[in-house]
Amino acid sequence: MPSWIRAVLVVALLYGFLVGVKLLESGVKGLGSETAGGLFDGITNPLAALFVGILATVLVQSSSVTTSTIVGLVATGLLPLETAVPMIMGANIGTSVTNTIVSLAHARENDEFRRAFSAATMHDFFNVMAVAILLPIELMTGFLQRSATWLTDLLPVGADATFDSPIKGAVKWGASQVEHLFEPFIESATAFGITMILVGIAIIFFALAYITKNMKVLIAARIERSVNAALAKSGLVGMAVGVLVTIAVQSSSITTSILVPIVASGMLMIRNAYPITLGANIGTTVTALIAALATGAPDGMTIALVHLLFNVVGILIIYPWGKIRYVPVNLAEKLAGIAVTRKWIAVAYTTIVFIAIPILGILILS
Amino acid sequence: MVMEFFRGGPSNELEAVEAWIVGMLRDGNDVFTAATDALFGGGKSKATKKEVRETDKGINEAQGDVRRALMIHAAVNSADLPLILQYSSIVKDAERVGDYSKNIYDLVKYGANFEGADDEDGLDDYRDKVSRLILEAADVFEAKDAGGAQRLLGKADVFLDQYDAEVKAAYNSTAGTKNAVARALYFRFLKRTTAHVMNVLTSLVQPLDRLDYYDEAKEDR
Repeated sequence: MPSWIRAVLVVALLYGFLVGVKLLESGVKGLGSETAGGLFDGITNPLAALFVGILATVLVQSSSVTTSTIVGLVATGLLPLETAVPMIMGANIGTSVTNTIVSLAHARENDEFRRAFSAATMHDFFNVMAVAILLPIELMTGFLQRSATWLTDLLPVGADATFDSPIKGAVKWGASQVEHLFEPFIESATAFGITMILVGIAIIFFALAYITKNMKVLIAARIERSVNAALAKSGLVGMAVGVLVTIAVQSSSITTSILVPIVASGMLMIRNAYPITLGANIGTTVTALIAALATGAPDGMTIALVHLLFNVVGILIIYPWGKIRYVPVNLAEKLAGIAVTRKWIAVAYTTIVFIAIPILGILILS
Repeated sequence: MVMEFFRGGPSNELEAVEAWIVGMLRDGNDVFTAATDALFGGGKSKATKKEVRETDKGINEAQGDVRRALMIHAAVNSADLPLILQYSSIVKDAERVGDYSKNIYDLVKYGANFEGADDEDGLDDYRDKVSRLILEAADVFEAKDAGGAQRLLGKADVFLDQYDAEVKAAYNSTAGTKNAVARALYFRFLKRTTAHVMNVLTSLVQPLDRLDYYDEAKEDR
């Protein structure tokens, strides 16, 4: 397929993604306050919300889908910001399962597996560490939410502003066209709302998957050149490469999964891959920010900014300080050292951390 | 570094790999020319030694660049696996051209000098043939010219038989040990150089599993 057609397709998919978020929002609104209000009644515990974020992301294999959905739900007022914040943090942890699974493919060769598994799980450890530090602080002070609210007020979608852009109008028109398609067939408002939520999520999922796929093809050479240039570099250069590549492909999993075989081959040192991975954490927040633009609701923008702030603050707390900077890397290397002799531990770790604990957590805490 | 992301370049990094391989062949010819110039009267000198070593070092570094680029390409786009395997094989062949030219320069260090020898014209003729082969192979590979590759493979195949005949002649020669050893090694190095260039060319006409094989009947090529 010629590049220009692919580029046009990406723009169309991006529009589809925004329409999906709008449909999700209007679907929730259509449910009526009683039905909608009941959906998240059980998830008032922040830890339960965190586990929902992890599990949802593991199931859809994309934090972008989870965070965009959360933005849509927050924009309707259905999901309170207080509950959404830990969910967003959970999405950050859940997204690191993809490269952990990718690393299991290297299990046949011990040294290669040790490097691959370390490269993958350092992302897990960093994200868990960031949540362990920031979630209690957030629960005590609400500083992420308050900072994000303050930032939202500065933007055109701020609390007192009426944000009307041509894009917003076009997205609203697209969403109404989809609604008109279903209206003749569904009479009940509740059923219509649920259908719009499901259609919205399906469109978000489809659009993001194909945006990622097409963007990866479109900019594959640029990804290769920038990763190659960052191989011997560390710190900010790697982080910037991680941010750029992830924004371009709209998926942190793609960025971090590309790193796994390169680290496994020994070409890229795990400590040089580390900042690229952290950059991916920041880059992935752009999807939720785009989704927030579609809703135009201040709370939607606030939760998207919470996602960005959480990742930036997490890096600022952990990365600049020599003593704790490499804690996630060291923990990942220790775990890989154990897993290399007993491979079942790697599988057990992935299953327990990303599936068993979140399910148990949700069951117990809800 | 970060700007690499925004900088223009080939739409596919394999094109950059191809350019590297072409460059390695042309640099290999530079080493070959420097080494054979020394063998045909130039003699050993610090300047030639430096040129041979540094150009060969650059070729070796290019081989590392190619391998790194191929590994990253595999991580980003594993669908190109056959080409990745092919290029990771022929980059070694391109690198060997410089290596064998360095071996020819080693003959000069041992004291070999073909200038003024009775068979100088014949020896010189082979050097021209090999140098032309390397450069033409680089052009053919750059243009991905399968027809040109087949033509060159046919031509080079004849050289291989000629080298064998020359090595046999050196073995049976009564012109003295030094002369015989110098000629036997010279033709051996020319044969290996030719064979590695042929390996690069097979990538244009043979499937992956038949890479490096050019010894079947000419009509089957």
